[in-house]
Amino acid sequence: MIGFFQGMWLIVALDLKQRVRGVAWYVLLGVFVLLVTIVTVLVVIATNAWDSGGGAVFSTVVFFVLLLGTLVSPALSGNAINGEREAGTLATTQVTLVTTAQLVVGKWLAAWITALAFLVASVPFLVFGVVLGEVSASTIAVSLVVLAVEVGVIAAIGVGLSGVIARPLFSVVVTYLVVAALSIGTLIAFALGGAAMQSTVHSTYISVDYEALDDSGQIPDGDEVPCLAPVVSEYPTPRWDYVWGFLAANPYVVVADASPGTFDEHGSPRDLFGWIAVGVRQAQHAPDLETTYDECADWRKYGAYGYGGPGEGETPKEVYERSVPSWFVGLSIHVLLGAGALAWAWRRTEVPVKRLAPGSRIA
Amino acid sequence: MAGITVTGVARSFGEVHAVRDASFEVAPGSVAGLIGPNGAGKTTLLLMLATLLAPDAGTIRIAGYDPVTEPHQVRRRMGWMPDVLGSWPTLSVRAALTTSARMYGMGADEASARAQQLVELVDLVPLAEQATRVLSRGQKQRLSLARALVHDPEVLLLDEPASGLDPAARAELRELVRRLAGEGKTILVSSHVLAELEEMADSAVYLAAGATAAPEEVARAGRSARHWRIRSLDAERLVSALGDAGFGEVAVVDRFGAVVPLTSEPDAAQLLAHLIGSGVPVSSFAPAVGDLEHVFHDLNRAGDDA
Repeated sequence: MIGFFQGMWLIVALDLKQRVRGVAWYVLLGVFVLLVTIVTVLVVIATNAWDSGGGAVFSTVVFFVLLLGTLVSPALSGNAINGEREAGTLATTQVTLVTTAQLVVGKWLAAWITALAFLVASVPFLVFGVVLGEVSASTIAVSLVVLAVEVGVIAAIGVGLSGVIARPLFSVVVTYLVVAALSIGTLIAFALGGAAMQSTVHSTYISVDYEALDDSGQIPDGDEVPCLAPVVSEYPTPRWDYVWGFLAANPYVVVADASPGTFDEHGSPRDLFGWIAVGVRQAQHAPDLETTYDECADWRKYGAYGYGGPGEGETPKEVYERSVPSWFVGLSIHVLLGAGALAWAWRRTEVPVKRLAPGSRIA
Repeated sequence: MAGITVTGVARSFGEVHAVRDASFEVAPGSVAGLIGPNGAGKTTLLLMLATLLAPDAGTIRIAGYDPVTEPHQVRRRMGWMPDVLGSWPTLSVRAALTTSARMYGMGADEASARAQQLVELVDLVPLAEQATRVLSRGQKQRLSLARALVHDPEVLLLDEPASGLDPAARAELRELVRRLAGEGKTILVSSHVLAELEEMADSAVYLAAGATAAPEEVARAGRSARHWRIRSLDAERLVSALGDAGFGEVAVVDRFGAVVPLTSEPDAAQLLAHLIGSGVPVSSFAPAVGDLEHVFHDLNRAGDDA
């Protein structure tokens, strides 16, 4: 018997050995570093980062790395298993003592490690963002970890699909479609879903009777505040709280929401990630369907032209803190997707084959 | 019996019945040829023996183990050389063999020692450090054979091992196969080159349209009339002597001599004695095709007639 990790590591080592001997991979890495450099320089100039701190640089670089990572990862992983089958090397591995589980997990780890190289190449740029200041160590650590996990999920989906779909080109394309569905499709589903499921808000407005005021706009002495009858108006409002799960499944949202929120003294987020997190968490809450604006009551409380003042509405920080951390939901969805894809590939690649899909082959 | 035992095996792919009914045995220490026309199901049968494909019906035992329920035990003891030439393109020959050895659970040192032995065995020493993608078809074939041997298996399944090999490499393959059988290994070789199998196989499994021929069928086919090629230094005397013996009608005469259908070996002996007795200078007197080929054609004809 060959130990699980020993056999799996053989596959990882074999896969990596073959990748690093190809030129394509180095070219890709070079292009990646070049693009990140350009983006970093442009963001530094655009946000005047030398003066205002590196928060914007950092979050932009993280998002850009995620973008490129999700674009590169399907190409690195989407033909892992069916590519070997086409090359005739899959069956020769399967007749050895290496099990199918070791093969699938090994292929996934190799694809993940390759994609992580891109993350490692981007670390200097992230450090640059940190050096400019105003980024907390925890934000950096969490962003990197979540970024690594997200890239791993894409790699798992790619390897999984390569075990399920017979033709390499097709499985790479489907992996790209999954990435697109997660990155853009979730936004579309969120927007359309929220807009389609609307509720009606009943808004009651109790106005002061301005006609009854004296010439200087004050209440005549000794009188009560003159009020008009309540006016109820109705208007539709989108129900984001029904569809916020879609938004949570967006990898960019996961990365943004996972980084610990930092807020200023007014309870407003300090960086781009914070604003996204607050927006996503705000969407979890059902809108108030019975709103009342009682001008009269305000008048009584605060005097003429008074208003609710600070403390009435929630600050972004308060919204953030009373909501479910959506990154946890999103990341769980992703990890389940990735694990499911790998499990499916394992089942479909297991030998001896009992049921063979039409058009597929063994060796 | 260890070795290979196949009983009533069938496998279909949707509507296509690749293997309908295959039964045969190969004893340890012997070489069996797997013979059949293209599309007869040879590769499908070998995939089932190699633990890659599960049969729909029937049982298989490789070295005493069932490839479906105990694939791990089978893989330990079975070496498979596929008909498709697959090799990790960027790895060197030596690295490919070392990796294969490690996949069978050998330690790093043991694996590289084994790789060195195999590189020598299949004559790839000058190419050992070359990437496998630069190998020619025949060299890849030898690498593939080496990989099948990497864990010193007791059962060997070779799918078209000789294709792409030059005559010298074919002779070496033949010697190697005989030597391995001599060491007590069970070997099943599929090939189209029947003359070649003739020289290395102890027995033959005939597969036609997914079914193995029954032993009695094979025996009958072996007894049926076959062609003998006769060469003589004096063609005219040969033709007249054949006419005297009553073969004037059926003998086909060409510039190499004559081809005569004969039912049995005693008939052949009798005709030869007659020719010599008539003073024909016979330089060669032999079956026009080998035993395997003769049976192969005969069974195929029978299959077509049916």
